[in-house]
Amino acid sequence: MNKYLQVFKISFQQEFAYPLSFVMWRVRNVLQIFVVFFLWDTVFSFRESVLFGYDRDRILTYVFGLIFIKAFVLSARAQDVAGEIARGEIINYLLKPVNYFKYWLTRDISSKTLNLIFAVGEFILLYLILKPPFYFQTNPVQITLFLISIGLAILTYFLLLFIVNAIPFWAPEMGWGGHFLVTVILVEFLSGSLFPLDILPVNIQNVLSFTPFPYIIFFPLQVYLGKVTGILLFKGIVVAIFWIIVLWFFMNWVWSKGFKAYQAYGR
Amino acid sequence: MGKSEREEFEKAIIVERLAKNFEITEKKSGLIGSLQTLIVPTKKTVRALKSISFSISQGELIGFIGPNGAGKTTTLKILSGLLYPSSGFVQVLGFDPWVRRPEFLKQISLVMGQKNQLWWDLPAIDTFELNKAIYEIPDNKFKENLEELTTILEVKKLLNTQVRRLSLGQRMRLELVAALLHKPKVLFLDEPTIGLDVVAQQKVRDFIFDYNRRFKATIMLTSHNMDDLIDLAKRVIVVYKGEILFDGDLKELVGQFAREKIIKVYLDKPADIKKFSEIGKVKKYDYPQAIIRVPREASAVAASELLQNFPVADLTIEEEPIEDIIRRVFKGETVKKKS
Amino acid sequence: MDVRRLFYYFKIWLFMSKNSFLMVLNQKSVLLIFLIGKVLRFLFFIAFLFFLVSGAENLAGYNSTQSIFFFLSFMIIDTTSQFFFREVYRFRTYVVTGDFDLILAKPMSALFRVLMGGADVIDLITLPPLYAATSYVGNLLSPTPFQVFIYLLLLLTGLLITTAFHIIVISFGIITLEVDHSIMIYRDITAMGRFPIDIYKEPLKGILTYFIPVAIMMTFPAKAFMGLVNFQGLLSAIVIGGVFMFVALRFWNFALKKYTSASS
Repeated sequence: MNKYLQVFKISFQQEFAYPLSFVMWRVRNVLQIFVVFFLWDTVFSFRESVLFGYDRDRILTYVFGLIFIKAFVLSARAQDVAGEIARGEIINYLLKPVNYFKYWLTRDISSKTLNLIFAVGEFILLYLILKPPFYFQTNPVQITLFLISIGLAILTYFLLLFIVNAIPFWAPEMGWGGHFLVTVILVEFLSGSLFPLDILPVNIQNVLSFTPFPYIIFFPLQVYLGKVTGILLFKGIVVAIFWIIVLWFFMNWVWSKGFKAYQAYGR
Repeated sequence: MGKSEREEFEKAIIVERLAKNFEITEKKSGLIGSLQTLIVPTKKTVRALKSISFSISQGELIGFIGPNGAGKTTTLKILSGLLYPSSGFVQVLGFDPWVRRPEFLKQISLVMGQKNQLWWDLPAIDTFELNKAIYEIPDNKFKENLEELTTILEVKKLLNTQVRRLSLGQRMRLELVAALLHKPKVLFLDEPTIGLDVVAQQKVRDFIFDYNRRFKATIMLTSHNMDDLIDLAKRVIVVYKGEILFDGDLKELVGQFAREKIIKVYLDKPADIKKFSEIGKVKKYDYPQAIIRVPREASAVAASELLQNFPVADLTIEEEPIEDIIRRVFKGETVKKKS
Repeated sequence: MDVRRLFYYFKIWLFMSKNSFLMVLNQKSVLLIFLIGKVLRFLFFIAFLFFLVSGAENLAGYNSTQSIFFFLSFMIIDTTSQFFFREVYRFRTYVVTGDFDLILAKPMSALFRVLMGGADVIDLITLPPLYAATSYVGNLLSPTPFQVFIYLLLLLTGLLITTAFHIIVISFGIITLEVDHSIMIYRDITAMGRFPIDIYKEPLKGILTYFIPVAIMMTFPAKAFMGLVNFQGLLSAIVIGGVFMFVALRFWNFALKKYTSASS
């Protein structure tokens, strides 16, 4: 366990090696929140009633919650793995007595920790600038389940990343393309990081609820807002766990196939 | 200035009292240091060139030598219009390079050893065709020049291969083709053989020599490679810390910079090396031959002492090899000698 | 600039674009994956916008057709400028490796080379359907010919401002060696123009109109199309566009001077 603590420390320091890069990434996050915030603020300033099941407080809390959830779930280093495979650098790690997945999970957690610290600062700053109404969840059960759903979200996203990362085993030039398609396009839209998914027609929502995407961002926020409770909440958690198991087996299968393909090429 | 007047210029390059200063911000280490640099930058002026003057006639091939940071690349960049001078007068083919007029740029070319103009993912021929459009080379001229250059450089078969699949030496030769398609009158070569293997170096060298003779092109060459200079340049300019130390025939360089002479003796009987070292530095002792380095002024005295005190069968006095002198120039060791 | 020179640059642009297309076509699977990604992103966004505005009945007073038209006008400016200026994304490499020196030694405008040297074939594929979709949705709003004319005029102004922004980004890149993040921040800011600028509050709205004129680039054309821009607005848009271009070119010259006086 001690060695992963070291990995955590080194990775944490590594993030500071390019301070400009990090700061710019945070600035971009804030800008994106701005857009979503104003969009919903406008939509609700024309009406006082409930829309798509949200009142004004809840929807703006959703937007602010995005800052945290994105720092928790979407901040990751593991997308670098695709590049390592494409360049053949992965060999260096395979020779070391570390578990490659644990290694990157540790690096991800370190990245999340740092981003979370900044997210708190940004949250306070934006809160002071925009002065939004805020919905506080007080039910301890919901809060506990919210934390659990975040843990599940982190695992789901990590597994998705690692599956996409395997693409360069077969096609080294496709590494960034795969990430573009899955993590930039699909996750951005289908996880609810741009729009809450309940603006969609009910049948589309139903279909989506059986994919892993909503459990990355949308579902944890719904739990916090108290919009899913009881049997629906239970169903959500079961589906999320189901996906983690499926993705876990799929990832192992893809990676073992990938290594074989890799050795066959002799790269 | 009329065209006919311009053609009359015998000097291709004129440089008078050229100086170039750089302002650099000193970086401090550590977090506090880098913050300090950000808020209160400490500026320092570096005098890269301190009032240098020289001129080059049309058709000359000259070597520009000196240690790293002496100001070689800076001079080439000023002459090709990439840097503007802090003061002084510069004229290339009758133009002020810094204005970067297309008429001027069409007559020169700059090749830098580790910089590329070829499109990495495409065959070289695509870059050549682009250059044809940029330099407005007529169709028949383009074909003729391409044929000629690819033949001399032996790269005809490589034209349709993706550049990234080529070896460094092959790429460098194609870079040369790209740089010369428009038949420049003046050619600036900055370390053209850097990183190449010996065979590739020789190919590039032969080509430069040939190109200079064939087309009467003016060529200015900087290099770290002694062979480049000895093979190619008749005239050399030595720069050191932004100043010209020497400008003249390569052979004269020896007279000016050689500090030592080399005495070779052949002995009848073995002798004590220690006694030799009282006379000069013993470079090699391998009976019956001994090689001793002595200061230039003392060479006559040393020779007579050797003849008197040792069983000498034969004795010759030689100049220091040119390679050694240039090597010292590159290291920046050479200090100007009174002539 | 005389006509001959214009023709010269057009010819070079064709050559450079041909090269850059060939480069991408060498990797057809990569081309395909990015094409799919871009099309998906476009369709997702339209769908979300449609469901959002029809659910909320209006967005800052615009109905769903109008909101989609705002988004399409944003896409026209965004995609067209990406088609032309893709090379900007590679500019950092030129400066870091020093290949920029060889670009400067060529008898053509270095700015032209680094700005327009790598047209993007993916956008060439997506642009015609985008123009067609915009015409179709625009037609539903039944504009007068004059409104269409002003729309096109303001789109050109918008493209002028994006050009200015790209020039500023590369000039900044020469000085600081930082391009990748500034271009992404530029894109995040302009992404605010996906919605009509009316949704933002002051002072953000003011900033987006005058300081970083996203409003003029993306919202004004569509508003003019709906007959919501008066002559004064039109004039100020053109003036601001001109001022931006002027500032950008001055900044480029400044950066170039800085580069050419710096050590290697």
